[in-house]
Amino acid sequence: MNVFEWSFLAGVLTATAPVLLAALGGLLCQVVGVFNIALEGQLLWGAFVAVVVSDLTGSAWAGVAGAVAATVLFSALLSIPAVGLRADPIVIAVGLNLLALGLTAFLMRQIFGSGGTYSSPDLTGLPDLGELGLDVPVLREQSPLVPVALLLVVVMATWLTRSRSGLRLRAAGQHLEAAEAVGLPVAAYRHGVTLAAGALCGLAGAQLSLGNVTLFSEGMSAGRGWIAVVAVMLSGVLPYRLLLACLLFGVAEAFGFRLQGAGLPQQAADAAPYVITLAALVLAALWRRKRSHEHA
Amino acid sequence: MTAPALARRVVVSAPVVAVAGALALTTLVMLVVGVDPTLAYPALIRGAVADGNLEYTVAAFVPTLGMALAFALPLRAGEFNLGGDGQLAAGGVAAAALALLVPLPPVVAVVLPLVAGALAGGLVAAVAAPLSTRLKIPAIVSTLLISTPAVALASYLVRFPLAEAGTGIAQTPTLPDAAHLPFLGGSGYVTIGLPLIVVLTGLWLYADGRTVTGYEIRATGQNREFARYGGVRVDRVAAVALAGGGAFAGLSGALIVLGPPYRFVDGALTAPGYTFTAVAAVLLASARPVVVPLTVALLTVLQVGGQGMEREAGVPSQLTQIVQGLIIVIVAVLATLQARRRR
Amino acid sequence: MYAAELVEVTKRFGPVLANDGIDLAVARGEVHAVVGENGAGKSTLMSILYGLHRPDAGEIRRDGRTVALRSPADAIRHGLGMVHQRFRLFPGLTVAENVVIGAEPVRAGRIDRAAAARKVAALSERYGLRADPSALVGGLPVGVRQRVEILRALYREAEILILDEPTAVLTPGETDRLFEVLRTVAATGVSILLVTHKLSEVMAIGDRVTVLRQGRVTGRFTTAETNADELVNAMIGRSLAPSAPKRARPVREDPVLEVRDLTIHDADGVARLSEVSLSVHPGEIVGLAGVAGSGQRELIDSVTGLRGAVPGVFLAGTPVLAGRDPRVAYVPEDRHGRATAPGMSVAENILMGAQRELSSRWTLPTAAVKRRARDLVDRFAISAASVDVPISALSGGNAQKAVLARELTRPSRVVVAEEPTQGVDVGVRERVHALLLAARDDGAAVLLQSSELSELRDLADRILVLYEGRVVAEFPGDATETDIGRAMTGATA
Repeated sequence: MNVFEWSFLAGVLTATAPVLLAALGGLLCQVVGVFNIALEGQLLWGAFVAVVVSDLTGSAWAGVAGAVAATVLFSALLSIPAVGLRADPIVIAVGLNLLALGLTAFLMRQIFGSGGTYSSPDLTGLPDLGELGLDVPVLREQSPLVPVALLLVVVMATWLTRSRSGLRLRAAGQHLEAAEAVGLPVAAYRHGVTLAAGALCGLAGAQLSLGNVTLFSEGMSAGRGWIAVVAVMLSGVLPYRLLLACLLFGVAEAFGFRLQGAGLPQQAADAAPYVITLAALVLAALWRRKRSHEHA
Repeated sequence: MTAPALARRVVVSAPVVAVAGALALTTLVMLVVGVDPTLAYPALIRGAVADGNLEYTVAAFVPTLGMALAFALPLRAGEFNLGGDGQLAAGGVAAAALALLVPLPPVVAVVLPLVAGALAGGLVAAVAAPLSTRLKIPAIVSTLLISTPAVALASYLVRFPLAEAGTGIAQTPTLPDAAHLPFLGGSGYVTIGLPLIVVLTGLWLYADGRTVTGYEIRATGQNREFARYGGVRVDRVAAVALAGGGAFAGLSGALIVLGPPYRFVDGALTAPGYTFTAVAAVLLASARPVVVPLTVALLTVLQVGGQGMEREAGVPSQLTQIVQGLIIVIVAVLATLQARRRR
Repeated sequence: MYAAELVEVTKRFGPVLANDGIDLAVARGEVHAVVGENGAGKSTLMSILYGLHRPDAGEIRRDGRTVALRSPADAIRHGLGMVHQRFRLFPGLTVAENVVIGAEPVRAGRIDRAAAARKVAALSERYGLRADPSALVGGLPVGVRQRVEILRALYREAEILILDEPTAVLTPGETDRLFEVLRTVAATGVSILLVTHKLSEVMAIGDRVTVLRQGRVTGRFTTAETNADELVNAMIGRSLAPSAPKRARPVREDPVLEVRDLTIHDADGVARLSEVSLSVHPGEIVGLAGVAGSGQRELIDSVTGLRGAVPGVFLAGTPVLAGRDPRVAYVPEDRHGRATAPGMSVAENILMGAQRELSSRWTLPTAAVKRRARDLVDRFAISAASVDVPISALSGGNAQKAVLARELTRPSRVVVAEEPTQGVDVGVRERVHALLLAARDDGAAVLLQSSELSELRDLADRILVLYEGRVVAEFPGDATETDIGRAMTGATA
């Protein structure tokens, strides 16, 4: 097995993209100090709406737009109680993750008439970059949302460090009282990033159901939203480090896929991304601890 | 308190308002997608409590209550255990393996697998404790991350080393007769798991309110710095609470496997969604442990009734997940509104 | 016309009347001191002026016009700037970013860093507030951080600059430099409101003084025409406090609390305590003075066992036990931090620490726990509806009395009290003092940390001064505030 085949790298990128998009949303929230663990539910909801709208209109791009709009609405269910009313964001997120699971499974049966997995020749997925004329290895079979995700990493890194609004967001997350003391509208920022995270999760969901594959199946987010949460924890709110963390997951998933091809049981492939993500989290924490102990 | 005053307090209490609100919103969802609530709700009730169904509802109450304890016990110490599925599967597979591989005399053949299940679940959950207390990785994240590999491992064991030969179905062979949980009375569903879990719930309630450990767990959950200052070994308390929760989950898995159909069928433990039904029930009880059995009963009725509703009225049973999710959100909102009014 | 006026301002927090019909007027270019003891209502008043709290009654005028200040943003717009006691700075941002934030110079959609640095440098130059614009604030010494806050206010063109206890964290040299800066600033026409409880500062820099006591104005003076005695009178309502009767020193028994050569480093390797030695004997109160952050926290956490098993700390001759040494009664500074669990009942809060002694094996004797709590509630005159209500339902003073009830009834011969009267009213304060004195008379060794020198002088038999993690001086209990204050700022006596 050659890990350095183009197809392996392509697989890594495909696996990374939805997680990265969701994680960018989580990072944005983290910048302002909102611990957003509703990414999983939003990702699933986005994936579902993308398929429904694409199926209805015959346009994958309409599906993407629908997913973004619908997931922004969904994220308002987090932002209004958690930011506006200051309810416990963790409990709200647990509820919303469950709600997304139930809502997608329920509506799927109502709309498509059956549960499990929906795919159909009528359902249009996102075009490959190859079809759009970008016929280079690795990218050839990716959807346009993949380079968009990578570009967003650069945009967000630059924006957060260079722009006025980026500076203010970072400041608001560092010290709440200080932000209020210099007159920054912290609550508005928090609503804003929560809704923006919804938009990014909408993109992530569309990439998952119309980019990576062209179908919807129940619970297809399969923990990717949680991996995104971990990636945010690993990132130290730095977009480039976030990309690395997400790539780590992508490698794990692509590798697990390969292992399965090599005859290892599917369960090993299922578990691999989680084991590797958890290991990364533990190693990072141990490293931080060691560093502070060396000082002591 | 007078009877009307008591009645008024119950009616406006958070759980009642939350359930009412969630049902109202769910009815709205029904109307939007064109489901007739006047057909769906009666079907739901019949699905849960009509003859024959009631027994099944009671049987489903057992693991749901077990999983409620699995979530509630760590929550009292301030730790979110969302990894119930992994702990459940680990407990189930440990119990099945022991019962299949080790010939045991009667009674012991039931007791040991139950203990093994509890131990396995407790171990899986306890991993999260040092991660939380020493490395500051929130349990809500670590328990979830550990859950999927644990489920995968159980699934692997059931499909390969422990698989029933020749059938091609992902399940273990039937467990030896000695390992079957005895039925309760003349029931064909309800086993002695019911009294067992009820007694354990009683013990937990007693421990929570009336023992030193319970007090220290609550103090740790309320304000960790306060507990540490008071001399409580908070790291150990958090570990005990998480392991204890995991043990309840593992026991629930073992109870499922040792009950009909007396085998570990891959996916059968996690598919009914006991874990999150239990999470919703515990959050619905809003920090009043005594109410937990009631909220578990309510949500079990909803969950089981949902399947009846699907059979009878053709309404997808996932509707009950929507209700659960809404309940959690509404409970959280009510909690802050109440706290604000008190100030 | 005054630059700023507070007219009949009233603010109530629950049962506490923090500000009661206060009038305060500040002229252009004057340094106006607002003095009063802790809890007199100074900080609340300044928070109202800066839009952080809204008054229940009364109004605020700027240049004669009534203004509504709903938020700091409003206040900034109306030319107000504030330097908070706890700095409101962003540790991860640079000095320049901290100064310009909220009104950043922008070029082509990006922050114009060069312009920001230039403007900050110009302001620094003009007012003698030296600070490197590109340095990260998190790594700066306290004195420089304060300059950053002042620069920020000046950058936003504040016409009224509020400083809340600005010298609490400064060394004497830094304080002198700050006062120079304030004079320069005032000379440009900016009004300065200086909140303090140090009379020497008022006399040194103030033009006029408003004195608050228990939420009311009890005096208005022009510094040139008054003296410290007059101010003290207005501040505490009586001429110089008669010290509590100090016991004739008994023959010294061996110390119950002994610290020998204690050195402690923090996670970054900085020494927080250096070779600290002290001893507290039965029947004496040893006061601990020092500006905030001089090592008090580390010392107290070491003595109580909360820092783990630290070498060099001995209780009755044996090393301190890690976790929480049950031989020490400890009244912590912050009631919401570690002293109470707000959601638990009064009885459960009072139980903490005694749960294992009261219980046989596993079971908690609920009835006995409640009986004991009711007993203590009566004995310590805690006003609570019942012992079953959450402790958060109690007023601050009553919650503090509950903490004292819990700690002082421990079977311990060492009592550590940290700011025991912070944020409580005068009645509770007297009660707390009486309790500590009674503990002393019963033979307890008391270590009392307080930022109020008057409190230390009232209670302590000896006063130790911590400065940068070292014990730099020891005074008898009746030493003057000036001497103690000087030692607190590191000046060698």
